[in-house]
Amino acid sequence: MLRQVPRLASYLLTLWVVLTVNFLLPRLLPGDPLAALLDPQNSDYVFDAEVRAALESYYGLDRPLPVQYARYLAGAVSGDLGRSIRLNQPVGKLIRTHLPWTLLLTGTALTLASLLGLLGGTEAAWRRGTWRDRVLVTAGVVAGNAPVYFVGMMLLILFGARLGWLPLAGGRTPFAHYDTLPAAVADVGKHLLLPALTLTLTLVGGKFLLVRNNVVSVLGEDFMLVARAKGLPERRLKWAHALRNALLPFVAHLAAHAGQAITGAVFIETLFNYPGMGRLIFEAVGARDYPVIQGVFLVVSTVVLTANLLADELNTRLDPRLREA
Amino acid sequence: MGRRGHLGSDLVFGLSVLALFAAIALLAGVMAPYDPHAFSGQSLEQPSPAHPLGTNDAGQDILSELIYGARISLAVAVGAAVGTVALGTLVGGVAGTVGGWLDGLLMRLVDVLMTLPRLPLLILLTAFLGAGLAQTTAVIALLFWPATARVVRAQVQSVRRRGYVRMARNFGGGPGYVLRRHILPQIGPLLVSGLVTAAGRAVAMEAGLAFLGLGDPTAKSWGLMMRFALNLPGLLLTDRWLWWLLPPGLCVTLLILALTFTGMGLEEHLNPRLRRL
Repeated sequence: MLRQVPRLASYLLTLWVVLTVNFLLPRLLPGDPLAALLDPQNSDYVFDAEVRAALESYYGLDRPLPVQYARYLAGAVSGDLGRSIRLNQPVGKLIRTHLPWTLLLTGTALTLASLLGLLGGTEAAWRRGTWRDRVLVTAGVVAGNAPVYFVGMMLLILFGARLGWLPLAGGRTPFAHYDTLPAAVADVGKHLLLPALTLTLTLVGGKFLLVRNNVVSVLGEDFMLVARAKGLPERRLKWAHALRNALLPFVAHLAAHAGQAITGAVFIETLFNYPGMGRLIFEAVGARDYPVIQGVFLVVSTVVLTANLLADELNTRLDPRLREA
Repeated sequence: MGRRGHLGSDLVFGLSVLALFAAIALLAGVMAPYDPHAFSGQSLEQPSPAHPLGTNDAGQDILSELIYGARISLAVAVGAAVGTVALGTLVGGVAGTVGGWLDGLLMRLVDVLMTLPRLPLLILLTAFLGAGLAQTTAVIALLFWPATARVVRAQVQSVRRRGYVRMARNFGGGPGYVLRRHILPQIGPLLVSGLVTAAGRAVAMEAGLAFLGLGDPTAKSWGLMMRFALNLPGLLLTDRWLWWLLPPGLCVTLLILALTFTGMGLEEHLNPRLRRL
């Protein structure tokens, strides 16, 4: 149990940094949090001394900083993230309606990209040096580095606008009323396909290259030679020996790159008008809706950090050597 | 395996494309048919000899915007890359040289920054600091230095433990001398490929922020061009995307890929052990 402490402590430390950055940022910058709320550039808000004083006492900004900090932390822990200026709704409620869409999108894409990366990477390593391997490696570099918004645009134009096979935008058909559950699933799935495909494409490149290079380096190990000498079938060698051992760095990579999927999701949801957290933060930026931007940052960070912690934990389960250390 | 001094195909491709973009950026004043801010035609003109890529909704020449956009992308790339690597080298160098609690503290900071989702943090910082090219460049450098710091720290630590460096110190070589003579030459190659990688990420992030509407609204960057193009209702239903949306998208992608392949090629070139297995 003791060996879990450093990891958990590091997790909590990071979470605390996120909370504190969120608290300090509006207060460190010129003006105060209300300057953002009562932005003169924003046509929706009028500057008014009385409104300002009322807001100040409502948000507790007339109290000393440590008191504000304590109230902020207590609020964040109990799920109170403030109110959206643009929509005049609690930020927590907005996030509850948007988060499932992002989880659906990133979950689908991460699963697909991982499966493709593991299968493709192992096969490419098995055929290392052939033209097929070289083409796959170059394709992996291109897919992993091409900007996600460009990849998404091209897919959108091809499958959405030109061929008309898939819907152009949204998470489901507007005002749709579903009679049966399969109809609802089909509609959501149809809208999910293009965004998920885009995100999968941008995620698969890095995973493919990582698995391929790990399997290639495992191939030279003594245990592979022994396994081959024992006369094990090719299939077992490939999947039970080579891939099994290349799996560890892969899970570590998943842990370290959980945030990457979120970066992709922000662009993709903006492009495809997908009703997730990325779309929410994009719209909040347009309206200078600071409480929403901060709330999304806080929740997304927490989700990413938790995914990170879980992947770390999984890695310990998979690798007995890490358990001893 | 290629001879030493023979440039790999990755490096040749990357450097040629980079040279092309650098030439376009330098000669933008001569090459662009119009001032990108001038209203040189009607709104939304189709491509014609006068406007090879047509005009945007405000009647500005798209080809000229595209040519001048190279300046913005390259300026942010250079600025953010130098900033990222300088910060990373400073922190990594200090952590690796001083060690102790300071090392522990700095590496914790590196861990924290590396696990956070960068784009939401980038959006948050840009939203509060305001959108401008200088802010964008600074924020990118501020968020992406940890990777360099980690690599530099590891290398500094390993070099400091080597026999010849200990020897040099025992013979009275001061910290400055050891740094100049032994440590910098060892981390130099790392810094070069770090610079190129950071530049690629900066190009993607600058264009991405502009695409999200968080760019400098006065700087006509490729990302901003895509933003404005996509803002036109029904853009994808006509052919207009072909000359308005596609060219800036292709330019960003090509520049990022050129930087990626240059970085990979440089790493292989400087460290032959990394040659593709």
